[in-house]
Amino acid sequence: MASPVGLELFHQIEQFYFREARLFNEKRYREWLESMVDREVYYWLPIFEERYRADRKPPPEFPPAIYDDNYKDLEERIERFETNLIWMEDPPSRIRHLITNLEVYHAANADELETFSNFLVCRNRREHEQTLMIGGREDRLRRHPDGWRLLRRKINVPQRVIMDTNLYYFI
Amino acid sequence: MSIEVGKLLDHRNGIQKKRIFWDEELYRLEMERIFARSWLFLTHESEIPKPGDFFCTYMGEDAVIVTRTRSGEIRAYLNTCTHRGNQLCQAEAGNTRSFTCSYHGWSFDLEGKLAAVPLEADAYHNLLDKDRLGLPRVPKVESFGGFIFGCFDPDAPSLRDYLGEMAWYLETFTARAGVELLGPPLKSVLHCNWKVPTENFICDSYHVGWTHAAALKVMGGPLAAMSGNTQAPPGIGIQVSTRHGHGFGVIWEAASALHRQPDYEEFLRAKQPEVAALLGEMRGKLYRAHWDAGIFPNCSFLYGTNIWKMWHPRGPHECEVWSWTLVEKDMPADLKRKIQKEALRTFGTAGTFESDDGVNMHGCTYTNAGPHARRGEMVSVMGIDHDSTHPELPGFVNDANYSEIAMRGFYRFYAELAEARDWNEIIARTHTVARNGGNSNGAPQTATPRP
Repeated sequence: MASPVGLELFHQIEQFYFREARLFNEKRYREWLESMVDREVYYWLPIFEERYRADRKPPPEFPPAIYDDNYKDLEERIERFETNLIWMEDPPSRIRHLITNLEVYHAANADELETFSNFLVCRNRREHEQTLMIGGREDRLRRHPDGWRLLRRKINVPQRVIMDTNLYYFI
Repeated sequence: MSIEVGKLLDHRNGIQKKRIFWDEELYRLEMERIFARSWLFLTHESEIPKPGDFFCTYMGEDAVIVTRTRSGEIRAYLNTCTHRGNQLCQAEAGNTRSFTCSYHGWSFDLEGKLAAVPLEADAYHNLLDKDRLGLPRVPKVESFGGFIFGCFDPDAPSLRDYLGEMAWYLETFTARAGVELLGPPLKSVLHCNWKVPTENFICDSYHVGWTHAAALKVMGGPLAAMSGNTQAPPGIGIQVSTRHGHGFGVIWEAASALHRQPDYEEFLRAKQPEVAALLGEMRGKLYRAHWDAGIFPNCSFLYGTNIWKMWHPRGPHECEVWSWTLVEKDMPADLKRKIQKEALRTFGTAGTFESDDGVNMHGCTYTNAGPHARRGEMVSVMGIDHDSTHPELPGFVNDANYSEIAMRGFYRFYAELAEARDWNEIIARTHTVARNGGNSNGAPQTATPRP
């Protein structure tokens, strides 16, 4: 297992995630992309299949994913928000991200870190709608001259059947 | 039956009562009259290629196991133990030699036979008649183009006859090299009646420019002009309604419109001559068109965008959407992967298009909680005076990009099936229509009543 980082770096990374959560809460997606995301990012939310433990059927050759995004894909999703033509977001929904259980480790490459965190995302829409999503993230961050940036993110969502109408928000 | 379905639906004038999206009683009737009588999509042969492979799904609200037996035959069983009724198989897919119940360990083989009962001698004194306690079989299971469907009604016509004229259209992409579905499916809950997304996919090109204005604008390219519904490009598409409530809308030369890289378009152009040689010029043309389509009652797909969907009903006000990616078998692996990415990016659970729809579908359902709203009516009159037949295309055709002809056809058959005594009555009516109508000029004779 890679070694955990010292207190000061841990604090920096914790602040990185709290800032990211605040940008998501305030829907400042463009700012998030341009100041916190590496150009070589891979942002991935795979689905899983409920199989028996002893099952021997091979995994699918083409595993589906809810997010399978590179930088350009993320940017296009953000441009879609920026059109102001998404009726679901007008009136806007309210969203809140809580980030917990942070672990930060040195990666083999000195300019990179590996992290684990849990999230709770609550989205409220219109009068009554409230949906909760709890899960985990496995990230790789890369050092840039102006701070750390997201290089890779795997999002683990435990719901097999997603209980929300869509997952069109960043985690 | 205490509900008179015919009074809720007026297909001649294109009117549906709003309560069809809300009533509990009608929903229960649908389970008995629509879902118990229709051929329902189960899975694709490519998802269960080997003996012992299985896939669990639903027919209406009935859980079923679809499996391939040792001899390679595909069968479907109710997913319920014959002892005390527990859910038998609790994995969604896999490969197995038998299905064993988690309650008392009763075990059923791939042929559905009760094969093993723990403590059979001590508990049952060896008197248990195991031959009578096999899994209840779905009486009809058949495939078309590798798509496996099941039907609970032993009197229903064959799957080929049920698809009817729609099968002629489906051959456009199934007949040349064959297709497969890339699973497992994405699954999510929609807070809407199952008919709302169904009627949307079967004909609604009208909502595209408005509901999906944001995604169209970002995408650029030829379809960006549709964003905002300020112009209706003439002659870009048609709408089709076929016998048994199936239907689809077409945008010509737009199959790959939602794909950002050129290789899918190049593949279609390269294969189009083969399709035309095999099936004729018209289906060659359809091969490069984009389709939004519905197979009655609750299976939908977008050919071109290549998403394949089931809307499983979960009570009158909720359904579950399952989404696979459709690819042709002889596509290179790299192209299959790219098509999957684009299909799920646009019409998956976080789809740039799909995520616009759920909100409208919720709204179309839940406004009917109010008794005054529920007493009202909805209209599907778009293009109603322009429904026609076509010299080359089976079914009824509306030669315009915007028309609700297939929605009218859907509800027409919905009412017919709900009110019919049995399938024999429907089949007899089909023959009458075919004698009196029908297309000429070599197109398959239409058996579709005017929607």
